[in-house]
Amino acid sequence: MKKTKTRSASCFKMNNKKSQMKIQQMAFMLVAVTLFFVLVGLFVLGIGFSGLKQSSETLEKENAVLLVSELANSPEFSCGEVYKYGDSYCVDEDKVMALKNMDEYSNFWDVNSIEIRKVYPSENEIECSKENYPDCNVIKVYSRGSNQEIFKSSFISLCRKEKVLETGENYDKCEIGKLLVSYEVQK
Amino acid sequence: MLKKGYLQISFGWIFAIVVGIVILFLAIFLASKLINIGETKVDSSTAKEIEVLLNPLETSFGEEKTTSFIMPSEARINNKCDNFGNFGTQGISVSQKTFGKYSNTNIDISFENKYIFSDEFIEGKKFYLNSKPLNLPFKIADMIFITSKKYCFLDFPEEIEKDIPLQENIIIEEGKCSEEDVKVCFSDEDGCDIYVNYAQGYVEKNKEKVYFSENLLYGAIFSKPDIYECQTKRIMQRASQLYILNYNKAYLIQEKCQSNLNEELLSFSNDLKNYEKSEDLENIVITSNIINEKNKNEECKLF
Repeated sequence: MKKTKTRSASCFKMNNKKSQMKIQQMAFMLVAVTLFFVLVGLFVLGIGFSGLKQSSETLEKENAVLLVSELANSPEFSCGEVYKYGDSYCVDEDKVMALKNMDEYSNFWDVNSIEIRKVYPSENEIECSKENYPDCNVIKVYSRGSNQEIFKSSFISLCRKEKVLETGENYDKCEIGKLLVSYEVQK
Repeated sequence: MLKKGYLQISFGWIFAIVVGIVILFLAIFLASKLINIGETKVDSSTAKEIEVLLNPLETSFGEEKTTSFIMPSEARINNKCDNFGNFGTQGISVSQKTFGKYSNTNIDISFENKYIFSDEFIEGKKFYLNSKPLNLPFKIADMIFITSKKYCFLDFPEEIEKDIPLQENIIIEEGKCSEEDVKVCFSDEDGCDIYVNYAQGYVEKNKEKVYFSENLLYGAIFSKPDIYECQTKRIMQRASQLYILNYNKAYLIQEKCQSNLNEELLSFSNDLKNYEKSEDLENIVITSNIINEKNKNEECKLF
């Protein structure tokens, strides 16, 4: 009787160990399956977000391209009725110089930077400031300071008021310029 | 043996079923989250695309621009406006219809340099865009009107006929109007959705009155009164900065070209900053006309 009891106890122990092993195997399997699905999910998300980054850059580019072609007509840049020959795509250089120092406009246009360059004569680059204006050829209207940027440009006529020293009369001086708008490139 | 019952399920099976259910629910939860993320991505990139699409609507001298776009599925464009900061903010968000329900979007695309006049939300598949400049007396901003419903203009004065946006959804011939169209009446008629009192310069919509001047008429017609007031205030905020800009310009060029408008520019900029409601528009327009006359007579015009 005692012998049969010990035999059945050892048999139960063996069975118990076997089912414990099975449960462990199943648990490992389930963990592996869960991990597999999590990894697949992460992979799908990764692909989705890389596309998002690319499409955001494309939209930034489109924004810059479309903005540069129309910025000259916005009231902060346009000549209005100040100059005799001022029309569409005429930028008031005097107004832009005043705009350069207005911090209120730092987030107004959703681009990385706005610059105006005189096309002719193509001398060394001299950035305009209150002190050297108008003897300069680059007006940096504003910049967010990123180096990773791509410029889009559009030709404009750049007009300002000038004075004849001898007579004291003022006249309109218009030159060819380039309006440049940049957008940031994602790293 | 009989006591064991009819259904013999081992612990291993119960464990597998419970964990399987957990995994299934987890997978369904993750899949729905992924769908939500995908919807948010599509909605926010569509909103950004609409912002980009608004750039070519910048007008030049006295012109207006009209365009339209079609969404791949029924969509709702939400128009949000606030007056914080120097220029206030224009926000838009897009919800697209999937399985008969509009997606919940809480990502707004916001920008400072555009002014959208519309209802709180515009629903449809085809959207019509029109832009007109607002001059005080020089161009201050372009107002963008977004519509999707059909509007029927009735008994309008002849002088505005040429200014009514030439769009498919704006009908100016009474015979072509249908029952569902939004009726815009310029005279006291029954059954109109919007009343325009052109002589006294106000528009009545949902029993709310808003005042207009020149092109703002269309803003008042196409927008919800709250949005109209907010956008008009934002335009005045920009006008205030533009007058400061002209003052700074006058100061910069004073040696080569003297202006006698400096004091008026600063004082008017202050008036524009303190603008509250469209009732103040009349005084603003009067002052801007006085400044315009003075500017015309200056040897050195500022704008």
